[in-house]
Amino acid sequence: MNKESFNVSNTSNVSAAVAGLNVHKSYGVRYICASCAAKVTLSRNDPVRCKECGHRVLYKERTRRMVQFEAR
Amino acid sequence: MPSTVATASFNTLKREEIFRNPPKDKSAWPLLKQAVAPHVGSFNALMDGPDGGLLNLAVKDIGTKTVFDSNEVGRLGNKFNFRIAEVQITKPAVSAKDKTTVNRRVFPSECRERMSSYRSRLILKFAWSVNDGPEQFEYREAGTVPIMLASNRCHLENMSPADMVAHKEESEELGGYFVVNGIEKLIRLLIVQRRNHPMAIIRPSFVGRGASYSHFGVQIRSVRPDQTSQTNVLHYLNDGNVTFRFAWRKNEYLIPVVMILKALIETNDREIFDGIVGTETSNSFLTDRLELLLRTYKSYNLYLKQDTLAYLGDKFRIVFGATPDVSDIDVGKEVLQRIVLVHLKDNKEKFRTLLFMVRKLYALVAGDCCPDNPDAAQHQEILLGGFLYGMIIKEKIDEYLQGFKAQVTSDVNRKMAVNFEDKKYISKVFMKINENIGQKLQYFLSTGNLVSQSGLDLQQVSGYTVVAEKINFHRFISHFRMVHRGSFFAQLKTTTVRKLLPESWGFLCPVHTPDGSPCGLLNHLAHKCIIKTSASDVSHLPTILKQLGVGSPDMLAAGPSKCCVQLDGQIMGWTSHENARRVADVLRYWKVEGGHNIPTDLEIGLVPLSHGGQYPGLFLFSQSARMVRPVKYLPLDKEDFVGPFEQPYMNIAVTPDEITSDIHSHVEFSPTNILSILANMTPFSDFNQSPRNMYQCQMGKQTMGTPGTATVHRSDNKIYRLQSGQSPIVRANLYDEYGLDSFPNGTNAVVAVISYTGYDMDDAMILNKSSHERGFGYGSVYKVEKVDLSQKRRRGDPITCHFGFGQDSWPEQWRETLDADGLPIIGARLQEGDPIAAYFDETLGKTKVMLYKSHETAYVEEVKLLGDDAGENELQNLTVKLRITRSPIIGDKFSSRHGQKGVCSQKWGAVDLPFTETGMQPDIIINPHAFPSRMTIGMFVESLAGKAGALHGMAHDATPWKFTEENTAANYFGEQLKEAGYNYHGNEPMYSGVTGEELRCDIYIGLVYYQRLRHMVNDKFQVRSTGPVNSLTMQPVKGRKRSGGIRVGEMERDAFIGHGTAFLLQDRLLNCSDYTQVNVCTDCGSLLTPQSTVPRIGAQSKIRCRRCATKLVPGGPFEEGQLWEDGQGTKFVGGENTSTIAIPFVLKYLDSELAAMGIKMRFNVEPK
Repeated sequence: MNKESFNVSNTSNVSAAVAGLNVHKSYGVRYICASCAAKVTLSRNDPVRCKECGHRVLYKERTRRMVQFEAR
Repeated sequence: MPSTVATASFNTLKREEIFRNPPKDKSAWPLLKQAVAPHVGSFNALMDGPDGGLLNLAVKDIGTKTVFDSNEVGRLGNKFNFRIAEVQITKPAVSAKDKTTVNRRVFPSECRERMSSYRSRLILKFAWSVNDGPEQFEYREAGTVPIMLASNRCHLENMSPADMVAHKEESEELGGYFVVNGIEKLIRLLIVQRRNHPMAIIRPSFVGRGASYSHFGVQIRSVRPDQTSQTNVLHYLNDGNVTFRFAWRKNEYLIPVVMILKALIETNDREIFDGIVGTETSNSFLTDRLELLLRTYKSYNLYLKQDTLAYLGDKFRIVFGATPDVSDIDVGKEVLQRIVLVHLKDNKEKFRTLLFMVRKLYALVAGDCCPDNPDAAQHQEILLGGFLYGMIIKEKIDEYLQGFKAQVTSDVNRKMAVNFEDKKYISKVFMKINENIGQKLQYFLSTGNLVSQSGLDLQQVSGYTVVAEKINFHRFISHFRMVHRGSFFAQLKTTTVRKLLPESWGFLCPVHTPDGSPCGLLNHLAHKCIIKTSASDVSHLPTILKQLGVGSPDMLAAGPSKCCVQLDGQIMGWTSHENARRVADVLRYWKVEGGHNIPTDLEIGLVPLSHGGQYPGLFLFSQSARMVRPVKYLPLDKEDFVGPFEQPYMNIAVTPDEITSDIHSHVEFSPTNILSILANMTPFSDFNQSPRNMYQCQMGKQTMGTPGTATVHRSDNKIYRLQSGQSPIVRANLYDEYGLDSFPNGTNAVVAVISYTGYDMDDAMILNKSSHERGFGYGSVYKVEKVDLSQKRRRGDPITCHFGFGQDSWPEQWRETLDADGLPIIGARLQEGDPIAAYFDETLGKTKVMLYKSHETAYVEEVKLLGDDAGENELQNLTVKLRITRSPIIGDKFSSRHGQKGVCSQKWGAVDLPFTETGMQPDIIINPHAFPSRMTIGMFVESLAGKAGALHGMAHDATPWKFTEENTAANYFGEQLKEAGYNYHGNEPMYSGVTGEELRCDIYIGLVYYQRLRHMVNDKFQVRSTGPVNSLTMQPVKGRKRSGGIRVGEMERDAFIGHGTAFLLQDRLLNCSDYTQVNVCTDCGSLLTPQSTVPRIGAQSKIRCRRCATKLVPGGPFEEGQLWEDGQGTKFVGGENTSTIAIPFVLKYLDSELAAMGIKMRFNVEPK
């Protein structure tokens, strides 16, 4: 996961912006808008905004992984 | 009486219905809203009310300021008048820069989550005119001011519970506080002197005001219509003279009172004499002093009003910053208008009231009246948060105008182009001055510090705001009912201010005050006490008074022999004392009856004529900030409101039984009206020793309970939550009226009073292990960790840290708690040292993590991504809410509701616990020794009532003063127990859980509601064997957080010495502290000179004293083996007489410090 995720250089960003493309992928982690409960995915450099209503607080969704602990 | 009738109800269905479907119209618990009404009402008054609210009255009072564009002598230049014509406050909204947001309104929940402030724009209408020409206007933005929740500037105003829930608030959100940087702050209520009523005072500190000053004074706190105040004091001088004192901008000024009198109206000595003496011309005490008063004033040679005004104006010209175009007379008028008895508009009225004050002062000196007690509620009112807020805004607006003037003046002085006609110049001035008033208010709220030029006529500069902590609902609601006497009094050595006085009956709760340093200074309002936030309409009162035979204020009358009738500090007229009583009685009858245009909350303070008592008169009060409370008026059997001024002279029966005809005019609706909300929640508090009820009021506020239901939308640093809260079986009926079942605060527990294992000694209690395993007292602590990457850079710098993982290599186990976005996985378990967030630092090209630092295991509950205000930057700020499980463990604190706290000493297995004949086992065992000295009989009664309630399946009312000697609680509940087949007294035979034998005596066992207090060992324990040390002294550091030690101080040391425990003393003070082995030279006795030699090949390093050694002369004689070498390669001979000794390291440190001062320490070491 970590291998594909981060682009350090800003030059690629600029070229991507020129091309009108968004090269950044989202992590597949979803967020929930605190105001309208819409599911939001954010990619890097995205402002923290709900795509539907523009609200400024997002909650992270509970993981879909199994969470299991030893009881003692 | 049938013995098993429910006196209270659980209202389970109603409660569930309200919980599932919050009401869409209005709150089901109107009393809660009333509890915070003083806060919300006073804030609403800022913008609502006559003449556009207090703020608009305030800008009117500030008035017009003037500046000229020339600083040449003899030429004024162009005149520029400016003022604020209007103040507006909008409702909170997103900034205009934000283009994407659909809903422009900002709600408080967002501010709590984003740690921002709930505020809205303050708009000032700036008006100016040049050379008295036509006025021009401009609207100026003066920053954003924090807004009180649920006020008329808040979106939550008048929302139904259903709407509240929709906006992520509590269904019963009360408001009354501010949200500043995500923290809920409220301005606490402060006790101040009652407004507009001259108070006779004897204060020894008055003597220090100057030569011949006496300790007598008459003080009045005059309040302007905008609620700002100005205190005036009349001082009695030993020769009989009277001076008028006031403070202006924190400086004190003294003026002869006659000068004020002569400046107020065109008057003569005769008029002053008559106004003070009246008809009592034979009273030589008075006439002597009057003669002196008037004669000494002759030295000023001021006879006419104009002369006096000009004299005053001349003296105060600088102080008031008057411009040269204003005449001395006009400055003098301004002094009178701004300083002297500012609650009155008319100078004639001021004159009369001032004469009244002088007479009261003479009466005080002559002993005709007693001093008024400033610590009694009779002479007090409440400074409300909203009013204080308005006072600060007024002052800041004034400063803003002064700043404008100062800027223009400095432009003129610096010979810059000043052109009043040019709008560009005006806006240039605006650019240069600080217009951000909102920021100053935010500072006030977040620190509680008052930054003020004038001091606002208040006695303190800090401590005005407190955090509205939501530990549980009891604590939260108590904040709004809290009244502080002022931090000035906290330092006072005398305890008179803290005394509980009978005057506060029904207004301040006698029980609900903390013990310790704030005792008696921090009080709570009785739950029925109302604080007026607006003035009542008394416009019809003058005519009514005239009809009732009150004579004109101009008649020849003065002094206590006649009755002075005053309305809000204005003399309405004079009448005889006999008639005054009639007037008071009629007024009261009419105001309760209604339909006579007299407000019901009018305070009719009739002080009757007495011998050396309080100065008599009929004093009517109608304005805001007064405490009033409802009582029943007997002649009409209707609700009347009484205030603390009139109450001492009224006869109010506490119970209907004690009403005596011709004595009592009123009766209390309920005796519990004198108690605060919390004090009312103590069951059967009338059975307890009173300090125990005080303790319960404290502990109720420290309970781990239910802070609220909207906790998901909050980001408090720490929130305590009890998972297994229950509705108490035994509760006062007020519990339901306040809807406290929405916020359960404890658990019903089966409590046996028995000394069983020895583990219940000294207020320890034993917990049933099975109850514990079923969740008794289970709670959690929610902590919020903030992760803010923007703190890693300076403001304005570009973002260099991004949440998430970079492409460099980093430990794979980080991904165990973190998601791909670098944020924690919700539900993940965190242990000390686990990463809480990962970010990539561009400047270093490295992925870094923030670590979870606490030693307690926590679970990630929520992760909130917080956007910035403008909404243009990527994620920089987030909060992680962690849940820490806090199952009860040994050392956790519990208490019943009777001030009986205890620490869990053992979780005892159910098999070994005693059991009753029905097979019941206690959840909690407490020791019988907890009772005799504390006398908390209420707990026994609660135990009985709880048991009876549980057996019959009903709740029981525990309101105090319901039972009598004839109808006892023990009998009432005993009968119920008997009916259920139990022992009448609540005792039961029990069997030992260990042996199965019946215990020799019957055990008192019943149900008591237990609270789990928030003091838990996990937050408190401190252990250390080894650990961090201070690098300078090598002694252990202090502090639990740094895993330091607990100091063995002087007194502990004394105890060790006294016990002769020398080894322990050495162990504590040396071995476990800074024990060190050092080398010492046995020859010269120095600690500092021995050093290690550089080892030669094949040999060990040795210790040699450098001081005693001699430098090897090249080619000089030496014996092989004696030669040694230091780190620099210098060769030495000798100095081999060194030894190793054990010392505390600080000794070596001391030696080094002394060496630096040129002092040598020599240690005689034996044997050599």
